[in-house]
Amino acid sequence: MNENRPPRVSPIFPQGLACRGVVGARVRAGRMDRKVLLELKNIRKAFGEVVALDDVDFSIEKGGIHGLLGENGAGKTTLMNILYGYYHMDRGEISFEGSKVKIHSPQEAIRLGIGMVHQLSTLVPEFTAAENIILGTEGRRISFSTGGERPGILKLCEEVGLSFPLDVKVRELPAGIKQKIEIIRALHRGAKLIILDEPTTYLVESEFEQLLKSIKRLIDQGITVILITHKIREVLKSCDTVTVMRKGKVEGRIDRPEMDREKLVKMMFIEKEIKITESALPRVQLPDCRRSELPVLRVQNLAVEAGENGVGVHNLSFDLYGGEILGIASVSGNGVKELVEAMIHPSRLKEGDIRVKGESIRGLSTLEVFARGVFFTPEERIQQGILTEGSIKENVLLGHQGEKRFLRHDLFVNWEEAGKAARKTITEYGIYTPSEDFLIKRLSGGNIQKVIIGRAFVSQICLLITHNPTVGLDISSVEFIFRKLVEIRNQGDAVLWINEDLDELMMLSDRIAVIHRGELRGIFPRNQFDKYQIGLAMIGA
Amino acid sequence: MATTPESGISNRARGVRGLSLFLSSIQVYGIAIFLSFGVIAAISAILGYPVFEVLETLVFSSFRSFAGLKSTIKVSIPLLFTTYAFSIPFKIKFFNIGAWGQMLLGGAMTAVVGLLLADWNLPSVVMIPLLVLTAILAGGVFALIAAYLKADYDINPIVSTIMLNYVALQCVAFFCTARGFTDPKGGHPQTMLLPSSAALGFIGGIPYSLLLAVLAVLLVSVLINRTRLGYEINAIGYNPVAAQSYGIDFRKTIMLTFFFGGALAGLGGGLEVLNIHNRLLVGFADISGVNFGPLGVLAALVVAGNPMAVPVASFFMSVLLVGADRLQRTMQVPVELVFLLQAVIVLLIVITRARLSAKR
Repeated sequence: MNENRPPRVSPIFPQGLACRGVVGARVRAGRMDRKVLLELKNIRKAFGEVVALDDVDFSIEKGGIHGLLGENGAGKTTLMNILYGYYHMDRGEISFEGSKVKIHSPQEAIRLGIGMVHQLSTLVPEFTAAENIILGTEGRRISFSTGGERPGILKLCEEVGLSFPLDVKVRELPAGIKQKIEIIRALHRGAKLIILDEPTTYLVESEFEQLLKSIKRLIDQGITVILITHKIREVLKSCDTVTVMRKGKVEGRIDRPEMDREKLVKMMFIEKEIKITESALPRVQLPDCRRSELPVLRVQNLAVEAGENGVGVHNLSFDLYGGEILGIASVSGNGVKELVEAMIHPSRLKEGDIRVKGESIRGLSTLEVFARGVFFTPEERIQQGILTEGSIKENVLLGHQGEKRFLRHDLFVNWEEAGKAARKTITEYGIYTPSEDFLIKRLSGGNIQKVIIGRAFVSQICLLITHNPTVGLDISSVEFIFRKLVEIRNQGDAVLWINEDLDELMMLSDRIAVIHRGELRGIFPRNQFDKYQIGLAMIGA
Repeated sequence: MATTPESGISNRARGVRGLSLFLSSIQVYGIAIFLSFGVIAAISAILGYPVFEVLETLVFSSFRSFAGLKSTIKVSIPLLFTTYAFSIPFKIKFFNIGAWGQMLLGGAMTAVVGLLLADWNLPSVVMIPLLVLTAILAGGVFALIAAYLKADYDINPIVSTIMLNYVALQCVAFFCTARGFTDPKGGHPQTMLLPSSAALGFIGGIPYSLLLAVLAVLLVSVLINRTRLGYEINAIGYNPVAAQSYGIDFRKTIMLTFFFGGALAGLGGGLEVLNIHNRLLVGFADISGVNFGPLGVLAALVVAGNPMAVPVASFFMSVLLVGADRLQRTMQVPVELVFLLQAVIVLLIVITRARLSAKR
């Protein structure tokens, strides 16, 4: 990672040229005087028949980090998108810095000093960081050169303690740095209030710590931050106040002194009984389980060439037994993606061997691998996991289209059988949908993930490879997935669980293998789990 | 959002969704067609033609007489094939602009093989299936060139299919003038007549090729909705990354969709030769000077490339084409006006669709 590299300084322009949106001077004065900065009153928004926001009141004071907490679909992002001018509210009013405002577009929000950093990067991948930051502020100039703005940007970066390479194409940068760029972009446009929408979804723990440090610097500069999240532990760690939303309504607001985990859990899920752990994960037990004599999966001296933005895999060997969850801890971009690719598409395998139940899968097609009882759930839920425009039924069939049971005369799809399998998945997994013919893209993230996992169990399997299955899901969906993983293991089957969240891994893995730069850095058995040691191995120290 | 599993999205809600989808597509087509007829009315008024007569001739020529209906069917058959030729590869989001060339080559190869076999005196039951097969293979294999260029060299099929159209165009010109094929007495670049055993014939003025067109409609609908291959084509169209992750062969799918598309266009061309002209001639697959290939692209775009709606779209286009032909002959209205109308309809449908979906 190059996040610690100091930004290159332009030799042409010395420090000190004027810069729009210099943070300090304008807003520093108002810090900590508990003046109300933003007030949203009686906000209502319906999408068709669904009421997304039902008379929501939300207000925050100047300065500090204000959490907006709730499960997926509670209305957090909708509320903030209204504030940012993306959606138009059906009724309600907004006042900002003491005066009533109407915000019809993001441009107007920016003009008022509101900036938003979205969950998914909105940067132009082919532009450099500097170009992205000035994009849209270049005004009537004909040329698009970043030279004149550069000192201002650098000064801004220094003031808030964010650093990143200004001249590398954004495409080549990791998610954590993209977020920093987006924050600087918002500041550069003069933002006094920055909304961060689930900033940690694509960040690992250490990146979150860093982001938090930068946010604290912002606060010191007088910037106000709204943090949208569904993770209680992030709120407890960082927020000065938190407003909890549930099902389109505000459940209440708690300030720092009164904040505690139990209270927040109760507010988030009134009717659900979910026990959670210290680190605010759903508590699921890992009972003793006999592991099989022979390994279900044996990876031997595997070497895979690097894909895009990756490092490939070198000389990787490990065994995975039945009745075992093997966690893989690795920072994204360290070869795990290639490892999964090699197992799912072994026809591209060059060096080394992968054996499933003793038999090599070298050269097999994906469907042949599935036929051996291996199935997987991909890292990118939407991009890689679902047929976006297809129905639930079509999605459940995916990966099973070659199985005898779903075919007639080897040529026709047996849609009755596919419908049956889809209905079974819907009932078994409690997928919330009117029917199996419903379009999958209309489901919530948690329900989509249930379809993806349910698809893996349409036929008998002996090994499930699952990549970040809980990313971005609310706590009740996470609990469901945890239970499912343990259930598979207790049946004597094997789970290869790749996860970037170390807390989750440590709770439910029998062993944790650490991969750094495409190499195995050790396998920790359950009785030797140590967050610090594993963390060190993850960054190659 | 604010919903619970117990309350559920009721079936009623789903029914309403289906109905509203239906209403919204009626809305789209209704508004677009209404507006484009408005444009035509305005233009013909400016040009000094009687507006109502123009519109009336345009729409009802096909239905006023049996002869009108017959010529509409005759036009809609090749148009159906070229519309499919665009729509099937469009299922996986690729543009086959080559229906023109595929149709021409299908026709050319049919005529060439037919003439080469002329001396063998084969009976019709052998000759016709053989020539139909030739047409299918010629069109299909020709389209495969573009698919192969896409699959192995990542060359955009829009470019390759357009270029290949000119190759096919020159092939037709070559055979129409080549010694041994050309008809020297023709006065127009054309080949000699095919043997009579290669003529498909008419029943009550309707060409037998209609049967093959109906068969094609059935086969395509079964292919897309019922077969494993159809499922794989749909899956790639829905999300190519996910489809490939779960073991669907992208290369195979792109090859097959282009082959099917090209084969149908080739068949359309072959049937024009076998059933309408009984020979190959330059411009054999044209109507009012425009080839069925580009018209097929238009018809397919009208229904957003949905193969299930292709028969309707191509018939609708044929009604306009026949109406235009009649306008030209009875009222001396230039046929270009109708091509203008078609362009306007397609544009307006696309715009209305985009606007209506942008609202929500």
